[in-house]
Amino acid sequence: MSTTLKRTHLYEFHRQTAKMTEFAGFEMPIWYKGIIPEHMAVRNSVGIFDITHMGRTLITGAESEAFLNYVTTNDVAALTPLSAHYSNMCNEQGGIKDDFVLSRLEKEKFLIVYNAANRAEDYEWLVENSKRFNVRVEDVSDNIAMFAVQGPNAQKTLQKIADSDLSKIERFKCGWTKLAGLEGFVSRTGYTGEDGFEVFVWNTPLANPVDAVKVWNAILEAGKEFGIEPCGLGARDTLRLEAGMCLYGNDIDETTTPLEAGLGFVVKLKKEVFIGKEALTKQKTEGIKRKRIGLMMLGKDIPRPQHEVWKNGEKIGNVTSGTFSPLLERGIAMAYAPVEHAVEGNKVEVKVRDKFAEAQVVKFPFYDTTKYGYARQK
Amino acid sequence: MRVLDYEIPDKLYYSKEHEWVRVEGEEAVVGITDYAQKQLHEIVYAEVQKVGASVEQFQTMGTVESVKSVSDIFSPVSGTITRVNEELAKSPELLNQDPYGRGWLARINLADFDKDLKKLMTAQQYADYIRGMEE
Repeated sequence: MSTTLKRTHLYEFHRQTAKMTEFAGFEMPIWYKGIIPEHMAVRNSVGIFDITHMGRTLITGAESEAFLNYVTTNDVAALTPLSAHYSNMCNEQGGIKDDFVLSRLEKEKFLIVYNAANRAEDYEWLVENSKRFNVRVEDVSDNIAMFAVQGPNAQKTLQKIADSDLSKIERFKCGWTKLAGLEGFVSRTGYTGEDGFEVFVWNTPLANPVDAVKVWNAILEAGKEFGIEPCGLGARDTLRLEAGMCLYGNDIDETTTPLEAGLGFVVKLKKEVFIGKEALTKQKTEGIKRKRIGLMMLGKDIPRPQHEVWKNGEKIGNVTSGTFSPLLERGIAMAYAPVEHAVEGNKVEVKVRDKFAEAQVVKFPFYDTTKYGYARQK
Repeated sequence: MRVLDYEIPDKLYYSKEHEWVRVEGEEAVVGITDYAQKQLHEIVYAEVQKVGASVEQFQTMGTVESVKSVSDIFSPVSGTITRVNEELAKSPELLNQDPYGRGWLARINLADFDKDLKKLMTAQQYADYIRGMEE
């Protein structure tokens, strides 16, 4: 592998225990034990992911709320301190620049966590658009390590090394806590569909990884009794796909709008002004023509990105993400299809190599929410 | 023999694409090597051309898929497929668990094995080839 790839604090751990891959300029673990056991550990108990490769930027200053309301689609005024929400940034045409989670740390201090692949571009976009606001935009990616601890036993695991009561932090809330004696911040968010936390180890520069490694090891140790597994990017992708969550670059990009992607819930058209409002208002009024759908294969074939979706002998769209689902043990996919075909239960065909394989349009998430995911019946 | 982390049975022939061949009279049994299954990891789908299909040496004869990747299988010999391992449709993990045994892919009626053999490796040659790749 090229030596120009970036590495996280946990590189030595990954190198010794995982199969590595290149992702968004980083040398990252794709799997340790295997995608399937790692995936199942998160669905059934708990797993930990190093997600330090993601971009982290602090927005501070008197006009930080106004600025973020302008540059993102969701309602930032509704975000109380120590709360988080999922949101999008769009261009003027309503195309998605990125999707991310925004946390309000204080009245005038926000943390935005966005995709690794968009780190440079997002930072520039934020800086560029912040010029007429009284705010400071500071990329803190290289000074904060970030892990995701996900699964039904995530809280029990983390509580063993945290000094504040994590049960008080509800879904999409956040808070400060010592973790293994070190300064940490946790938000009850994630990219797996399960309950869990994203853990930030503050003030831990890449050049001095000791603290990050200490917290990582402490979580692994705390999770041992629950069978915790370190999880790589492979399981991260299969988990988010089962949960129906978008991967930027695959399922959403600047050619898709939040309305087409089924992310209308983060677009607050009642806001006075935000980038993309005009285009999105127009699209909302006229109605979308295509929509992101979930596809469940009826046979054994596995859909993959770029595979064509057909209906009645006609191509109607393309798969944007597709994989074998470790939980459902069959192929699942996301695709865009004209709204008239984007109807739950509709049977379509996915062209897998030279074969037309039957699939059915299903709702997100793909799994039974009474048995899996954060809202499961306890 | 065992080389690095990989099992390489002595009496088989090998291709550069990591398929193995075991000759049994007029026919050959073919499969993927231990090295191949370890690289692919967690095989969740396998498909080989149907019985009666003719295959050319080093041309595609099927597909194996892991959770995240899709790989072609190239036939190590030329001939006609006489049997395929039906068990793989239901249990593709046999390719991981027993690549030289229950994970066999197909039986092929050989067209001209003497010709095929010129482009295959012995176990010793394949072991050297693997060592070279791992360096």
